[in-house]
Amino acid sequence: MIPPEFDYAAPGTVSEALALLAEHGDEAKVLAGGQSLLPVLRMRLNAPGIVIDISRIEEIKGITESGDAVRIGAGATYQDVLDSALVSEHLGLLHKALTEVADAQIRHRGTVCGALVHADPAGDVGAPVLALDARMVIQGPDGERTVDASDFFVDLFETAVGEDELLTAVEIPKHTGWGAHYEKFVRVSHQWAIIGIAAAVRVEGGTIAEAKVGLTNMGSTPLRATSVEQALVGKEATEDAVAEACAQVGEGTDPPSDLNGQADYRKHVAGVLTRRAVVAAAGG
Amino acid sequence: MSDAATEQGRDRARVDAPLKVSGLAPYAYEHELEDPLFLVPVLSTVATGAITGIDAEAARAVPGVALVLTHENAPRLALPTIPTLAVLRKPRVRYRGEIVAAVVADSLETARYAASLVRVDYAAPPSGPDVRLDPEDPGVRPLRRVMGVYPGQHTVGDVDGELAGAAYRVEGHYATPVNHHNPIEPHSMVALWHADLGPLATVQPRSTRLTVWDSNQGVVAPQGVLAGAFGLLPTQVEVISPYVGGSFGTKGMPHPHVMVTAMAARKLPGRAVKVALTRPQMFAGTGYRPETRQRVALAADEQGRLRAVDHEVFAPVSRVIPWVDPTAGPSLSMYASPTRRVSYRAQHLDIGPGTFMRAPGEYTGMFALETAMDELAREMGMDPVELRLRNEPEADPESGRPWSSRHVATCLTEGARIFGLEQQQQPGGRREGEWLLGMGVASASFPQMGMGPSLARITFTGGRYVVSMQASDIGTGAWTVLAQIAAQALDVPQDQVEARIGTTDAPYAIIAGGSTGTFGWGSAVVEAAQAFRAEHGSDPAEGATTRARTRMPQGVRGVRRMAFGAHFAEVAVSEVSGEVRVRRLYGHFDGGRIMNPRTARSQLVGGMTMGLSGALFEESYRDPRFGHVVNADLAGYHVAAHADVVDIEVGWVGEPDPWMGATGAKGIGEVGIVGVPAAIGNAIFDATGLRLRELPFTPVKVLEAWESSGPAPAATVR
Repeated sequence: MIPPEFDYAAPGTVSEALALLAEHGDEAKVLAGGQSLLPVLRMRLNAPGIVIDISRIEEIKGITESGDAVRIGAGATYQDVLDSALVSEHLGLLHKALTEVADAQIRHRGTVCGALVHADPAGDVGAPVLALDARMVIQGPDGERTVDASDFFVDLFETAVGEDELLTAVEIPKHTGWGAHYEKFVRVSHQWAIIGIAAAVRVEGGTIAEAKVGLTNMGSTPLRATSVEQALVGKEATEDAVAEACAQVGEGTDPPSDLNGQADYRKHVAGVLTRRAVVAAAGG
Repeated sequence: MSDAATEQGRDRARVDAPLKVSGLAPYAYEHELEDPLFLVPVLSTVATGAITGIDAEAARAVPGVALVLTHENAPRLALPTIPTLAVLRKPRVRYRGEIVAAVVADSLETARYAASLVRVDYAAPPSGPDVRLDPEDPGVRPLRRVMGVYPGQHTVGDVDGELAGAAYRVEGHYATPVNHHNPIEPHSMVALWHADLGPLATVQPRSTRLTVWDSNQGVVAPQGVLAGAFGLLPTQVEVISPYVGGSFGTKGMPHPHVMVTAMAARKLPGRAVKVALTRPQMFAGTGYRPETRQRVALAADEQGRLRAVDHEVFAPVSRVIPWVDPTAGPSLSMYASPTRRVSYRAQHLDIGPGTFMRAPGEYTGMFALETAMDELAREMGMDPVELRLRNEPEADPESGRPWSSRHVATCLTEGARIFGLEQQQQPGGRREGEWLLGMGVASASFPQMGMGPSLARITFTGGRYVVSMQASDIGTGAWTVLAQIAAQALDVPQDQVEARIGTTDAPYAIIAGGSTGTFGWGSAVVEAAQAFRAEHGSDPAEGATTRARTRMPQGVRGVRRMAFGAHFAEVAVSEVSGEVRVRRLYGHFDGGRIMNPRTARSQLVGGMTMGLSGALFEESYRDPRFGHVVNADLAGYHVAAHADVVDIEVGWVGEPDPWMGATGAKGIGEVGIVGVPAAIGNAIFDATGLRLRELPFTPVKVLEAWESSGPAPAATVR
């Protein structure tokens, strides 16, 4: 339970942080809220030479409006996001998902961007961010670049963020007026999702006009259930009407098998939970 | 003159420490017997109902299974005096987790597997079980007496009048959760019913029929219970319990597994039957500290002198044993007040019964009373130590009897000085980064009961003295301290005396409970030593032996005896996560004469650690539908770990109490835990301005309190 020895730096600006990353390369790990990194260090699953603490960088704090999107800085904790009126109004799906993250203590420390970069497929943030077509703002030695969420998640614990780069914000297009629900399947409330379904729908006159569905822990990265989304369009927002569209959500996925459930079990449960999530999102 | 005259001279490491740390002290389960069998109990999965059938065919068919015990084939026993022990008698269930069957096999694995195959069918009663705590339930009843000795309703003077016209008045509702003891060593036992004794042996009063190696707080309890149930004389039941890996009250009285294991042994004579409960089984059927809901109102005059103490307690009780902790006990005796009211209400539920848990009643009641005293001090703008000093009673307020000794004032003032108690006029002003800092104080008390006399025997053999009695060392240091007391009384060096305890093959002694061991047993040891010298002189012959019993001073019933103390806490509260860290705890105690400063310190530090753990972490969640504890293991029920316990220190007055018998010692096993949660909660108020009235003080409770009280007292720096 005692981490290996490491150096520690707490830069005050993004450029200082980037300089440190450039200097230390793969010896460096970035610390934001520390809710994943600290356990990893304590269990000695990783032994970085230096930990770069970005929690004191003012310029990446805060949640702001950015045109048609809401911009969540890398310093924002889950609780900051939950408390944000912008998020409640425009990003109902993210709000719903974050209420299911771990427990209050962790939500007050951990950060949304930290969870995205950590890219644990069982984490609750990836699926809604992916479903809502977010854009990742990444800064590196060559300046700032933007990566679509669909290109961001590469593999288990691996993202498009390079060794010398920093995810400084996530920009999520507003989904004002969309219904949303995050259905988390878990044995103990504060645990990792066995699977999770993030669903947002826009209902017009009792019919689903648009749907967005993201999947947690149904593969090595968060997934987008595009075929379900398409099948839902034009359906009545009732349980019976959406059931068929949702049943095949597991098709083409490669979920893990572990003590909580085999892959085929996860595929089956995913269908049931997707139906529930979509119905709940549609206000059913 | 031995060096025991000074406290420093009485400092001695525990004689059993080398055995304990090297793993050589045999615990009950570790007694090696030839060809043992292993018992695994099957617990009910419903809270109430009739058993309509038990299908044990599959279990019996497993190779290696020697016996499947159910109500259908269990030996018929005399009805035990403890109702929980009436197991496997009738096809009915009284609480979730009651033992409904047991499997005995030649390996633990086989027994466990076969137990999983036992199928029990139940018929649920028409209405579901009553397992939900509800103070407004129509079945809630006032209690006339609590634990048989405390008044359930007690009123002196016009409490309501004083509260209405008071210069200062506070009132709060407090809640404490279910706690489980969780000693490291589980409840365990080996039972051997002796075979081939011959027909004469059965009528010989001293021939042992049943031997049990058990983990308990005193061999006399299982001996009496088993003898009564199996129709034996107590002398025919041998109980051996030399080392006990913690108890805290849960091993004071036998639990159902003791009965069931003895039944299995009865049916399998000549074979040792072993059982060790798993942690979830311990949560189900070995007692707990019941939850409480309390209301405390205090009234005070302009000078801070109390005019009224009003303490209401609501508690759930089991229908099997209506166990209620004497939670309002502290309000009867702690402070002077012209008016006083104590009342208890209870709700009967289909749950397993609670039992003694370290300072039963005092722990929960003092949390409410000492938090309310802090609220009053804040209300008045008075120093919390000063407020307590102004309400020191000259005699016991409840009985009017004089104190045998009472050094609360010294504990408060000396403790505050040593600790450096400094509270803020305005909470929330001290911070280190995100951490808000504060300090708090609370008093402690624990009654010194008379549990009846014990016997001790001193024998001179091989040039050494042996003191033997049925006493039990549950981790307290009795092995060490009883030998020390004997050495002092015999006036010989400590290493010339050894103790022999934890067996029925020794003179009768009371169980280790109610913080009575050291002074109760110790008095018998002193009496035996003095009688030994009078009888055998200073140069005794080999084998010289003398026995004597506890003797308390004439007139002891005319005084009130209590141990006291004061706790001081320094906490840091994170305004980010709501986490509470206890940075320092200091306790100053009135424990009479300290017999061994090292074991005494360990006892008090242990009690305070348990209080810290209860203040911050420990809570058993009872499922309101099914009645079982949901977090029934040490992953779900967090007990303070090293990282949670930073700096705990203790001091004491050290003044012998003339009314405690020959030792002059007060019991200190329980007073250390009393008041700790209040001191920590009061420190949280000093740090943050948040008044938390429900244990434990988890991050969520802190954050919720903050949310409902507006923004943090100081600007957020993040």
